Amino acid sequence: MASVLLEKICKSFVPGKPVLNELSLEVKSGELFFLLGPSGCGKSTLLRILAGLEKQDSGRICFDGEEISALPPEKRQAAMMFQSYALWPHLTVFENIAFGLRILGISGQKLKDEVFSALEAVQLGDCAGRRVPSLSGGQQQRVALARALAVRPAVLLLDEPLSNLDARLRDTMRGEIVRICRERSQTAIYVTHDRQEALSMADRMAVLKDGRVSQCGSPRELYERPQNRFTGSFLGDINFIDGKIVDGKLDAGFGIFPLCGDPDNAGCGAIRPERIKLVDAAHRGAFAAKIVNGTFLGDCCEWICRVQDTELAVREYAPELRMTGDEVFLAFEDGFLMAME
Amino acid sequence: MLFRRMIQYSIMLALITFLALFLILPVFTVLHEGCNWHLIAEVFRSPVYCEGLLNSLLIAVVTTAMVALISLGLALLYDRYEFAGKEYCSLLMLLPMILPPFVGAIGFQQILGYYGVVNSLLVQCGMQRIDFLGGSGKFWSVCVIEALHLYPVFYLNLITALGNIDPALSDAAANLGASGWQRFFRIKLPLLKSGFLAGGSIVMVWSFTELGTPLMFGYNRVTPVQVFNGLNELENNPLPYSLVVVMLSVSALIYLLMRRLLSTPGGASAVKGAMGSRTKRLVSWRRFLPSSAFLLVAFLSVLPHLALTGTAFSLRWHDTVLPEVFTLEHFDNALSNPLVLPSIVNSLRYSLLAMIIAVFCGTLAALASVRWKLKGAWLLDLLSMLPLAIPGLVIAFGFLGMTGRYLWARAIFNPVDNPLWLLAIAYAVRRIPYVVRAVVAGLEQTPEELENAARNFGAGPVKTLCRITFPLIGANLLVGGLFAFSFSMLEVSDSLILAQKSVFFPITKALLELSQILGSGPASASAFGVWAMAFLALTLASAGLLMGRKIGAIFKF
Repeated sequence: MASVLLEKICKSFVPGKPVLNELSLEVKSGELFFLLGPSGCGKSTLLRILAGLEKQDSGRICFDGEEISALPPEKRQAAMMFQSYALWPHLTVFENIAFGLRILGISGQKLKDEVFSALEAVQLGDCAGRRVPSLSGGQQQRVALARALAVRPAVLLLDEPLSNLDARLRDTMRGEIVRICRERSQTAIYVTHDRQEALSMADRMAVLKDGRVSQCGSPRELYERPQNRFTGSFLGDINFIDGKIVDGKLDAGFGIFPLCGDPDNAGCGAIRPERIKLVDAAHRGAFAAKIVNGTFLGDCCEWICRVQDTELAVREYAPELRMTGDEVFLAFEDGFLMAME
Repeated sequence: MLFRRMIQYSIMLALITFLALFLILPVFTVLHEGCNWHLIAEVFRSPVYCEGLLNSLLIAVVTTAMVALISLGLALLYDRYEFAGKEYCSLLMLLPMILPPFVGAIGFQQILGYYGVVNSLLVQCGMQRIDFLGGSGKFWSVCVIEALHLYPVFYLNLITALGNIDPALSDAAANLGASGWQRFFRIKLPLLKSGFLAGGSIVMVWSFTELGTPLMFGYNRVTPVQVFNGLNELENNPLPYSLVVVMLSVSALIYLLMRRLLSTPGGASAVKGAMGSRTKRLVSWRRFLPSSAFLLVAFLSVLPHLALTGTAFSLRWHDTVLPEVFTLEHFDNALSNPLVLPSIVNSLRYSLLAMIIAVFCGTLAALASVRWKLKGAWLLDLLSMLPLAIPGLVIAFGFLGMTGRYLWARAIFNPVDNPLWLLAIAYAVRRIPYVVRAVVAGLEQTPEELENAARNFGAGPVKTLCRITFPLIGANLLVGGLFAFSFSMLEVSDSLILAQKSVFFPITKALLELSQILGSGPASASAFGVWAMAFLALTLASAGLLMGRKIGAIFKF
């Protein structure tokens, strides 16, 4: 399996409005790498450039250290699962999946085995003889996934592969994709805008914003140590706390708290709602706050609390019964108040 | 990548050169020979030529109006209702295509002539004979015959346009309170403009320059016939060239005018995606109404040819409603005429070669303009659509002029020695637009992502073309090829002008020659016409069999 290196990729469809802006990334061999970002941030374009279906304006793409920018799509071994599925309507499900294998020179029993194992992986073993238009949207999506998996490409490209499935099937398919990629140590690049999907499946991931990498790292790194507001808030709810920064500590007005990360260049602190604890008044670092709103979510409750001028979202698991207007004491969990630019 | 780009560019360049040589150069030659202001002034000073021009224009307008009425009605019925025998209606629409209109003219005379079927009926009912074909009767006969031949062109374009209209657009209007008629006039009709433009301009230019039908009727006061008749004295009188120049300018004007009148704002006229418009199912006796409308139109368009068949089989059909005394003598006569058998072989050779050239060039041109996205593809696009606006008569004259002017042209296709390449290319050039249209429609309905996917899975450009693109647009390729072939078989103007020796006569010219033999001529011509029609029907039917049940797919173009 190949490693992927992208160096300063630029692409614009309209001059002056770059879709990708000097984007650089490295994906290690065998890694399940996620590209996450809001719509229009250039994720799909990047995938199509990797597959050779679009040509970058400048920049280098290397597979396994070898530059492939000049290779036509068919020479790249970067099988892609298309967002629109792109299943060939004149071929059966079996023939759709067999297409790439036949080009690799596989035939006979081996071909059949490969096709059926790909179909089993997406739970469509009994659909081999059917025509594409007779399948539902979710089934078509899984056929497209099977087609890409079947050819065991150097790099597997997945463009929102599970967007059209119901919740239960999506969970199963997530597990299948992770299993297959791990088993084969398949290098795969997976585009999505679903942060749960990215956080739960990725070995490493990159958050894209306006055609640039906002931050790149393991899911835990990105979630717990976001380097900027965009990454922090894109991956989940987060409280930004303004204040003065003195000696690596944040003076928020209602207390002075130690910051982790890089306090020298920081302008504020940030902490995720589940890292703010409801505590006794005697707890170290506790400060008083008033509940102004609450949302019951089943396993947890999300409280909006006011301290002076600051509103904080607080997530309480196994929540107690509280009322709006109640006074509570809060404390930041040690090591989770991050310095932010 | 660069290498492929270069191949694509050289293919485009080759196509442009081909069209420049065999489309632009002939027109240029005609212009060169005919752009003599004295001669053009003479055309407009001569009351005979002016009358011809006026008559031709009137024929074009009346024919197009008739065609539009017939086909709009049928297309709406087809689009809106589910009725008995709907699947055969598309097949019925094929019928007029296989019937050469100028052959029908012989039959038409049998029906409406002074001693023809209708007058015999009138006499039997105790009424006076009416001279249908005298006076302005010839004019109307020409219009009716051409309209009955050309309405499928218009109809197919309308059906395509209707099929591309997302039913949701109409539903949205209904949702906002528009009634059926309001939806029709405010939503459907405006969205159909592209169909009207495409169909209308072809029909109008076609009927304006149609040579065969008025020639068969002996209706000589129309420009195309005047041009044809001037052919014999071309050596010392270049006036026909000027007449052709005038005709070309008027055709271009018609085309531009249509374009201006019907151009759709914004370009994209149709919302794609939700295919298959919703149809209403008719019940009880009503479900036969639409099919009888289709049957009636088909019957009318077949009527002249039925009469032709009657003439071919009867020894005597004069002043009676039905033919009397059947015989096979005419078929014998036709076959024993030395013109007939070779002309069938000739037509086959010319048309097959023309079909191959047209499909080859048309498919490449369509690929270049839709898929390859080359710089300068607009030029190829324009050139490959141009034959629709340039009358066949002009191109035929141009080829004739070219063989006189250029040595290389005389070397490749000398009409006296062997007009195989000359006729094949002349046929092909004018059939290229049909192929391009058919293939472009197919390519546009096929998402490019399907080809991208094949490339992504390791198939090279040629393999992708063969395994994915061509199978997906197979029906469109077949339609393009069939159109190219059958229109070539029925081609009149090139055939009459460019085939100069009787050994090389194609079917159409042999038919004309045969019909002009005094005495048994028209009857043997009818018999030959029956042969030709049977033969064409056979080709189309076998193509239909090849397509199997997917014959309907032909019409989604």
